[in-house]
Amino acid sequence: MKKTTVYIALTLIMVGLLGYLLLENSNTNVSSAIQNSASADSGSNFQKVVLSMQNYNYYPNTVTVKSGQPVRIYLDSSVQGCYRGFTIRSFGIAKYLATPSDYVEFTPTQKGTFQFACSMGMGRGTLIVE
Amino acid sequence: MSFKEFTKSLSNNGPEGELIKTIFISLLTSFALLGILYYLSFRYSSSFLPKYGFFAFFAILSYAVILPSVRYVRSYKEFLCMPGMMIGMTMGMISSFLPGFFVGATNGMFVGSMFGMAIGVSFGVWNGKCCGIMGIMEGVMAGFMGGLMGAMTSVMVLNDHLKTTGFIIFLISAFILFGLNYMMYKETRESERKYKDDEFFVILLTLILTAITLWIMVMGPRSFLFGN
Repeated sequence: MKKTTVYIALTLIMVGLLGYLLLENSNTNVSSAIQNSASADSGSNFQKVVLSMQNYNYYPNTVTVKSGQPVRIYLDSSVQGCYRGFTIRSFGIAKYLATPSDYVEFTPTQKGTFQFACSMGMGRGTLIVE
Repeated sequence: MSFKEFTKSLSNNGPEGELIKTIFISLLTSFALLGILYYLSFRYSSSFLPKYGFFAFFAILSYAVILPSVRYVRSYKEFLCMPGMMIGMTMGMISSFLPGFFVGATNGMFVGSMFGMAIGVSFGVWNGKCCGIMGIMEGVMAGFMGGLMGAMTSVMVLNDHLKTTGFIIFLISAFILFGLNYMMYKETRESERKYKDDEFFVILLTLILTAITLWIMVMGPRSFLFGN
């Protein structure tokens, strides 16, 4: 057998072994690890949602709200950087929430599933209107 | 000078024959180092494999495909301006983009880009000097751009198929480096080998690169996005 063939075979074995050891317990997708659902607090006249940050994404990243009732979304102090630029394209919302007391308010009138994201599209989540 | 001749030359005793051997030695060294570090330290951290396993794996593979080209350039030492600039640019770009991407994915934009730039500029200058100041300039510029771009790309796709992107970027980079080796082969048919690095050169470089990368990934500073 040629020397090169031996080296290629050994290299492939080494890659396979390394891959097996290092990738076996690896997460398949960072964002898919978060699939929590949170119901919004139904306050007196608006539904309050507070998002924080975990695993490089909004947490919770699935939020359920009721249709026809105003929603206020706050970002707590763990949310940093471009994640503070909050957008829901379907509702025409794009606002920089500089502090945890800042919020976006809107009234979903249409039932369905909508995406929210940070201004750069790095942090994402789903808004379910029931 | 055909591609077929190049693939045949991978079995000879010249610099080309050392390319695949270098990949193997680099992987073996990284594997040994990783085993030692895992036994001594990383096994106590339950989050090591889920958080860093994928990126450590591809960082190790990246060094294994970068180092053969470094060794190949050093074998001939001198190139004309055009191929020399291409060598400086390719080495600077790939050796900054890949570490920048994988460290950026675990430590954030700042650490990833600084680390990528440091590696890329060093390799770009080191290899680009084979044709003088033009190659050095190309190496610096490519290393600077690649480090920033690698880390930026990984941070931008954090929540959008990060691992798939890393895999594709690695494959393309490996193809580019293979192309660079072929280009150097074509350019050096009239030249004589000027220098021969022994295996210790590959082992030492691999140890340094892998150790620094793993240390930065696990214990290095990170951006607020990643916990600190």
